[in-house]
Amino acid sequence: MNVIVEVKLLTEEKRMFKIPVGPQHPALKEFENFTFTVDGELIIDVNFRIGYTHRGIEKLAESKTYIQNLYLCERVCGICSAAHQGCYAQTAEALAGVTAPPRGVYIRTLIWELERIHSHLLWLGVAAHEIGFDTFFMLVWRDREVVMDILEMISGNRVNYAMNTVGGVRRDISDELKYKILKGLDILEERTKYYKEVCMKEQTILARAANVGILTREQALKLNAVGPTARASGVNVDIRKDVPYGAYDEVPFNVIVYDTCDVLARILVRVDETLESIRMSRWILEHLPQGEIRTNFPRRVAENEVLSRVEAPRGELFYYIKSNGTDKPERLKIRTPTLANLLPVCEMLKGCYIADIPIVLAGIDPCFACMDRALFIDENSGKRWVWDTKQLRKYSIKWYKEHGEEVVRERWKQ
Amino acid sequence: MHYPGALEKELLKHIPKKPATEMYPFVKVEAPEGYRGKIAFDIQKCIGCSLCALNCPSGAIEMVKDDRTKLKKKPKFFYSRCLFCGQCEEVCPRKAIKLTREFELADYDKEKMVIDV
Amino acid sequence: MEAIELLILILKIVIFPGALFCIAYGWFLEWFDRKLYARFQNRVGPFLTGPRGILQPFADFIKLLAKEDITPIEADKFGFTATPLLTLIVSLFTLLFIPITSLSGILSFPGDLLFVLFISTVFGLLIMFAGYFSGNRFSIIGTERTGLQFIAYEIPFVLSVISVALIARSLEIENIVKYQIETLGLPLIIATPVTFVVYLVAFVIYLISSLAKLEKVPFDIPEAETEIVSGWQVEYSGKKLAFFRLATDLKMVFVSGLAATLFLGGPYGPSIPGLEPVFYTIWFIIKTLVVMFILSNLRSLFARYKIDQMVRGFWKYLIPIAILQILAVEVLIFWGVF
Repeated sequence: MNVIVEVKLLTEEKRMFKIPVGPQHPALKEFENFTFTVDGELIIDVNFRIGYTHRGIEKLAESKTYIQNLYLCERVCGICSAAHQGCYAQTAEALAGVTAPPRGVYIRTLIWELERIHSHLLWLGVAAHEIGFDTFFMLVWRDREVVMDILEMISGNRVNYAMNTVGGVRRDISDELKYKILKGLDILEERTKYYKEVCMKEQTILARAANVGILTREQALKLNAVGPTARASGVNVDIRKDVPYGAYDEVPFNVIVYDTCDVLARILVRVDETLESIRMSRWILEHLPQGEIRTNFPRRVAENEVLSRVEAPRGELFYYIKSNGTDKPERLKIRTPTLANLLPVCEMLKGCYIADIPIVLAGIDPCFACMDRALFIDENSGKRWVWDTKQLRKYSIKWYKEHGEEVVRERWKQ
Repeated sequence: MHYPGALEKELLKHIPKKPATEMYPFVKVEAPEGYRGKIAFDIQKCIGCSLCALNCPSGAIEMVKDDRTKLKKKPKFFYSRCLFCGQCEEVCPRKAIKLTREFELADYDKEKMVIDV
Repeated sequence: MEAIELLILILKIVIFPGALFCIAYGWFLEWFDRKLYARFQNRVGPFLTGPRGILQPFADFIKLLAKEDITPIEADKFGFTATPLLTLIVSLFTLLFIPITSLSGILSFPGDLLFVLFISTVFGLLIMFAGYFSGNRFSIIGTERTGLQFIAYEIPFVLSVISVALIARSLEIENIVKYQIETLGLPLIIATPVTFVVYLVAFVIYLISSLAKLEKVPFDIPEAETEIVSGWQVEYSGKKLAFFRLATDLKMVFVSGLAATLFLGGPYGPSIPGLEPVFYTIWFIIKTLVVMFILSNLRSLFARYKIDQMVRGFWKYLIPIAILQILAVEVLIFWGVF
C-alpha cells in the first residue's frame, strides 16, 4: 500500500511543469516573461515578470525642454506614437493655458484616426500570424502600406510622424493632398470590408478564436480592462465619448461594443473600429475649418500640474506633467493601456490550452515597450525613488558579482 | 454559414498578377515630397545664433568656431545621431537648414557621418 | 548476378534515379513549393540565388552544414546524434521503391506497397524520438503533439492506399501501375465515371492525410512556430538540422511520388519508343508537380488547428469516410463493375 501512495504522489507532482514564454519568443513581439504551469496541454497558472524594456524615459524627460520632450514621448512606442505625442502636446497646452486653434485640433484628430487604422491593421496581421495563418498576415500587411503611404505624404515619415507641437500642428494639408488621401481611404474601406467577411466566414479562424480566452463582464469591470479588450466584453467605455477631447465632441461616430467576450469579439471590435475610423477621417477632411494651425507657446511654464487622457488604439492612455517655472518639466508620468490589461490576460489564460497562448496574448494588443516603468519602494523606510540608467547599471554589476554564481547553478539544476 | 477556404478565389487571382513587392535595391524608389531626410546646410545664410543646437532633442548639432558667420560660430551636424524630426529647420531664423529627400545614409564608419561645411 | 549488372545497380541506387537525383529533385520541389506559396500571397519568394532563386534550398543546406553544432547538456548523446542520420536513411530508402524511370522502382518485390508504408511509419516514430532525446520542455510538448497527430493521420493514409490496391488486386507497386496502363488505359482518377466518383474521395483523403504527414499548415501543430518555437526541432542545429530538413524534402518527393503512382497512372505517358527512361522521368516530374501545386494551394489557405480539434476531426469525419469508401469499392467489385 505504501508503494501505491508514493507512486501517485510522484506522478501528480511531476506531471505539471513550467514553461517559460519569453523574454525571447516568437509569440511575443516585444520582451516580457510569462511562466505557465501546465498539465499536458492545459494551463493551470500564470505568472509574469515585466521590466525588460525599461528605458528610463520619465527620468530623461526631466532634463529636456518641453519642445525636446515632444520627440522623446513620440518614441515611447512605434505603433501608437501619434497618440503619445498628441497626448503630451495636449497636456502641455493645458499646463501653460494655451489653446490650439481649431484647424490644428482637427488635423491632430485626423492623425489620431489614421494611426488607429494603421495600428488595427497591423494587429490583425499579427493575430493571423499567431494562429498560423500566414497568408492573411501577408495580405493585410500589403494593404496596410496604403495607410502608411498616406501618412508619409502628410507628415514626411512612415512611423514617428512628429506632426504635433506644443500649440498646434507643424504641417498643413493642401487640397491636392486631400484628394489623394480620400482615394487611399476608399481602397482601405473596400479591403477592410473584405477582411471582415473573411474573419466571419473562415472556419479555421473561428475554430481558433471562438470561445477562447473568455473574460466575463464582471471580471473586466473588476480588473479594470481598458480599450478594445473591455469593449469586447460588453463594457461600454471609450474616452472619446465619455470625456471628449480634441475634435471628438464634433465628429459623429459610434462606439463598437460586442458582448461575446472571446478573442473573436476582440478581432471584430478592432475591424469595426477601423471602418469607423475611415468614416471619421473622411468627415474630418470634408469639414476642416480654415485658419491657423499653431499658436505661441511660452518658453517657461508657471507652476501647475495637469493630468490628461487619450484613447490610444490599445485603450486609455494617461499623461501627468508637473511644471515648476523653468523651461523643463519637473515630473512626467505615463500610464499606458497595456499595463492595465495585463491582469485580465492572466485571468483569461487559466483554463486554456498551450495552443491558445499566442492568440490570447495578442488579443489584448500588447505594446510592452510602452509599459515598463520602474519604481523602487523600500518597504522598511517607505522611501520611493526612481533610478536612471547609470545607477541601475552600477547596481546590476554589483549584484551579479555577489549573486551570479548561485543564479547560474540553480538554473542548470532545473 | 462558415466554411474553410474562404480565401481561395483571392489566391487564385494572384497567380497571374505581378507581385506587390517593390524590388528595392534593384529598382530605385523615390521618397515623396516633404519627406524628412538628410540635412542640407547653407553656410551663406547662417548667422551663428545656435538656436538649432539648443533645440535639438538628441544632441546631434554642436557649435564650432568659424569666421564666416556673424557670431563667429557654425553648427556641425552629426547625422548618425539625428532623429530627422525637423525641429532645427523649423526654428532657424534665416532658413539655412533644409531637410532633403535623401534617405540612404547607412555607413560603416560613424566618423564619416558628419556634415561639416 | 554478374559484376556489370551489380555495378549498374549500384550506380542506379546512388546517382540516377537513386540518391543524388532524389536529393536534387527534393530541393527542386521545395523551391517550387516556396515560390508558389509566395505567389499565392502576392509576394516574390526566393529570387536572388541562381536564376529565379532555384538554388535557394541548396544554399540553405550548405549554410546549415557550416554552422556550429551544439549538443545540449540534458540531451541523450547517442540518440541525439543518431536520429538525424536514421531519418535521412529511412527517407532515402522509401524512395527506392517509387517508379521513376520505368514502370517499377529500382527495387521491387511482391508486397512492397505495405513495406513502403511501414517504412514511412518508422519516419514518424523517429520524429518522436528526436523530440524526446532533446531534453527540452518545448520539444517534449512537440513530441506529445507528434504522437497524437500520428495516431490520427496514419489510418486514413493507409486506408486510402489500400483501396487502390483492392481494385488492382495486387500489393506490388509495379502491378498497380501496369493495371492502370493496360486494363484502364488512363490514370485511375479519370478512367471511367465510376472510378472518378469513388477514387476522387480516396485522393482527397490521401491529400489531407499527407498534409498532416508532412506537417504543413493546417496540421503543422508539432512544429508550431508561434507557440512552441519549432517543437521537436528546437535543439538541433548545424549538420543535424540540415539532415532533418533534407529528410523532410525527401518525404515530400515520396508522398507526391506515391500519389502520382497510385492515382495518376505512374510515370507513364506518350513517349518515343527507345527513349523510354527519359520520357518516363519527364512524366513523373510533371505529375508530381501537379500534386505539389494542390498541396501548396492547401497550405496557403488555412490557419493552424489545435491538436484536439485535429484528432477529433480526423477520427470523427475522415476515418468513417475512408472506411465507407473501401466498402463501396468492395461492393462494386462484388457486382463485377471493376
